[in-house]
Amino acid sequence: MMFELMYDPKWFYGKDVLTDIVSLFILFFIGYFSLRSYNLKKNKNYLIFTASFWLMALSFFFKIITNFTLYHKTTHIKQIGMVTFTYTIFHHSELLFYFGFLLHRLLMLVGLYSLYCVYSRTKLNDYLLVIYLIIVSTLFTSSVYYLFHITSLTILILITYNYLDLHLKNNSKTSLLLFNSFILITISQILFIFVKLNSWFYIIAEILQTIGFVLLLVTFIKVLKNGKKKRKK
Amino acid sequence: MVRKRERSDIILDMLVSIQDKGGKIKPTHLMYKANLAHQQMKSYLEDLIDKDFVREIKDKGYKYIIITDHGLKFVEKISQMKEFERTFGL
Repeated sequence: MMFELMYDPKWFYGKDVLTDIVSLFILFFIGYFSLRSYNLKKNKNYLIFTASFWLMALSFFFKIITNFTLYHKTTHIKQIGMVTFTYTIFHHSELLFYFGFLLHRLLMLVGLYSLYCVYSRTKLNDYLLVIYLIIVSTLFTSSVYYLFHITSLTILILITYNYLDLHLKNNSKTSLLLFNSFILITISQILFIFVKLNSWFYIIAEILQTIGFVLLLVTFIKVLKNGKKKRKK
Repeated sequence: MVRKRERSDIILDMLVSIQDKGGKIKPTHLMYKANLAHQQMKSYLEDLIDKDFVREIKDKGYKYIIITDHGLKFVEKISQMKEFERTFGL
């Protein structure tokens, strides 16, 4: 019996995988910079920030895997009398799809919540309660798909509000860009709630989410450039 | 209330003070510019020399502190980190 893996892309699949790969790399690089800063300054906020961004990057990794419907192909050889039959059967891997999506959603919610924790003063009891709620909403999301997006939306609103507050304090171009990037990511979650009504919601949400992450990258590049400029002055 | 300077802030202030003076400064000027006490400055300076961020040289009988390329790169890295910290509210 031969064993081979095969991917079955559907329309827009190639494109949304590409946008997810872009988001994954942006999250990874910003998280990496934060980790390097932690090594210099030993401020635990940097470490939580890195964990949050890398959890979200890992979440995209699982989404990319499950975006392909995974099949495995088995080739069977059967001998009936003098004749040898060779035939191929395709099997759909439900288990990988289910666990991949579950991990994608769980890691995304924990990542978003970790980012929120950087800015909030949460007590240990609250952490336990929220982790419990995240696990519950991840498990129920397989039957009520929009539960994940509503939970993400709620946490994102809190994070975006923090960035608005930060922008009002800093009043800089980079803080405005950061706020705008999170506004787009938040709006994309609203659109994801309605994907079952029309597939265009999914396409627009994916595009908005990617623009949000690209804007996050632009913010990060501007931050690095500003840091260089300030010293040269 | 004025926030107490962290170690990285003091190191950055010292290196920036040298950079602002064209990369070369007298130790006493550095002490005033970086707002440090004598003992503090001595200890930080030893640390910076150990890390090859600065070097001590003698010019016309006077002692000077100069910033190295490694020190300049470190200033850039710290400045980027501070900008990142400010933008992302860390």
